[in-house]
Amino acid sequence: MERRKFLATCGTLLAGGSLAAMGSVLAVKASRNEGDMMWQIDPEKCVQCGRCQTECVLPVSAVKCFHANQVCGYCDLCGGYYRANVKELNTAAENMMCPTGAIQRKFVEEPYFEYTIDEELCNGCGKCVKGCSSFGNGSLFLQIQQERCLGCNECKISKVCVSGAIQRVPVGTAYKLKEHA
Amino acid sequence: MKKTTLITFAVIALYAIALAVWQLYDPTSKLTQFIPGADNRPAGTARRADSVVIGEFFMRYDVAPSNAPSQGSWQAWTGFRGQGKDNICKNATPIQLAKGDFPVLWTIETGEGHAAPVIFDGKVYLLDYDEHVSSDALRCFSLITGEELWRRWYRVPMKRNHGFSRTIPAIHDGKVVSIGPEGHVMCCNAQTGDLLWTLDMKKRYGTEIPFWYTGQCPYITSQGELILAPAGKDVLLAGIDMKNGEELWTTPNTVAFKMSHSSVMPMVLGGQSTLVYAGVGGVCGVAADGNEKGKLLWSANKWQPSVLAPSPLQLSSSQIFLVAGYGAGGALLQVDRSGQQWTATIREQYKADKGLSSEQQTPILHDGMIITILPKDGGGMRERLSLYTPSDLHHAVWNSAADERFGLGPYIVIDKRLFAFKETGELYVYDILPRSLQLIRKQQIIPDGSDAWGPMAYANGMLLVRDAKHVSCVKIED
Repeated sequence: MERRKFLATCGTLLAGGSLAAMGSVLAVKASRNEGDMMWQIDPEKCVQCGRCQTECVLPVSAVKCFHANQVCGYCDLCGGYYRANVKELNTAAENMMCPTGAIQRKFVEEPYFEYTIDEELCNGCGKCVKGCSSFGNGSLFLQIQQERCLGCNECKISKVCVSGAIQRVPVGTAYKLKEHA
Repeated sequence: MKKTTLITFAVIALYAIALAVWQLYDPTSKLTQFIPGADNRPAGTARRADSVVIGEFFMRYDVAPSNAPSQGSWQAWTGFRGQGKDNICKNATPIQLAKGDFPVLWTIETGEGHAAPVIFDGKVYLLDYDEHVSSDALRCFSLITGEELWRRWYRVPMKRNHGFSRTIPAIHDGKVVSIGPEGHVMCCNAQTGDLLWTLDMKKRYGTEIPFWYTGQCPYITSQGELILAPAGKDVLLAGIDMKNGEELWTTPNTVAFKMSHSSVMPMVLGGQSTLVYAGVGGVCGVAADGNEKGKLLWSANKWQPSVLAPSPLQLSSSQIFLVAGYGAGGALLQVDRSGQQWTATIREQYKADKGLSSEQQTPILHDGMIITILPKDGGGMRERLSLYTPSDLHHAVWNSAADERFGLGPYIVIDKRLFAFKETGELYVYDILPRSLQLIRKQQIIPDGSDAWGPMAYANGMLLVRDAKHVSCVKIED
């Protein structure tokens, strides 16, 4: 085979394969039925060991921090926002609990702040969740973002989860959201 | 043009473009700086590192209605050494001990420390310290389930020094008062957690907080006066109105005492209601009622240990037993009254290995016997339970066995039984006999417990114990 023809064939296969794979993933996601099962984290069992960040097959984990506004105390002194033993209560990097800056907040009124999660930045490390759970009322919790999850037959994180918090759940209840502390 | 020339120009052009891109492209343009002010906090409201706003934060927790404390006939343990200030719980009917092992109803994790809980209206109150957010936190739990109902906290950065938390709150007329390790006084509605008033003893009285932080527990009189012993530059003792935190009276610190870890104890001496305080520098008595309320009646400075944790123990209408650890030992104080003249004399004092002594817990006077745990410098009987009579402070009438050593653990009398808690988390129960104690059972309550120094509290058949990092509720009654 000529070199030019060989390269053209390889390129075609690569591009075609990628398109086919992407199409398959989208087709699988689009064809999910109510009876299908998906992976999800039970916040009541999660111990924030940090493995969700490192064990997911995706380059950036599909596990993200969720925030239940109705549970949050809107505290200025937030255990999920600030690192332990900070000297100053301000937004300087050395005071931040989140290593990627995914937790952001805006002043509401003294002494309350509204917290939001930038999902693009969150890597699922769970440090904020641990801080919130240990002192606050647990409004921050980890969930598998189903739009990102590949739905592996055997979730790699579930194999190493120390508390058995990652379970199969029906598509209809794909998230285990918090409504109470 | 020659082919080689063309390639040369092409390479030069390529390098020139690469150089231009390299110079012009800013890879940091998409980075976000994390600097102060990213949370649009209004200008001028930034926090100073050491600024303390007592009671500024509050959190209420959702508890299922079935688990919330309901109206009922709740017993109470409302302060340091209970309502009688004697560390004795006197039930109307003797308790029947649970058969078999005592069930541990619940255990909660706490910040490292020795602060102990109180019980009121089916709820447990504890002044905790959370190291993560560098905050004192007054926490309220359900006595039955251990579920947290609310907490009110404030940031007060501190360094660990045998843990952080120390003191026991006091409750009166639906209000709960706490004193933080740095001398911050906070009064809240015991039911709702609403902040009522605050007081900073360092700021108001110039108190010098002792090494190992404030150990003084608040005392509230039956008239609703909070008694504080700031032992500051000008004020020795102060009476604070529980309703609004206003100062009712002060005792000038003419004796120049400094704050100790000891608490103010109410006594009736020579017919006079007296507030007795053992500070660093000596011991004193202040009138608790009458026209002279707040007046310094007497003081003695012959016995003045540098570190003082136990509180004075009244032995009779004219005698007070004083004790301290770290080599200080014990002393007997005689207080006499002749009309309006008072004299206070140290009748005897001795080292810890020469008689009744204690390092941290205040001994109990029960049925004419003094119950104590000897300190680590108490000679061969060190760390054992011992009984003494007020008439002979040098010879114990009974000592616990060699393996019954409790370290700095607490003890409490409930009816006719003594409950002693080893500092490793093991509970011992003794029957109190006329001149001895008889061990009837023991049980490890907190696995791998350590530094269990906080006093116990008891109500409704439930005994609260703690070690350095846990509080447990033990059902001791059937």
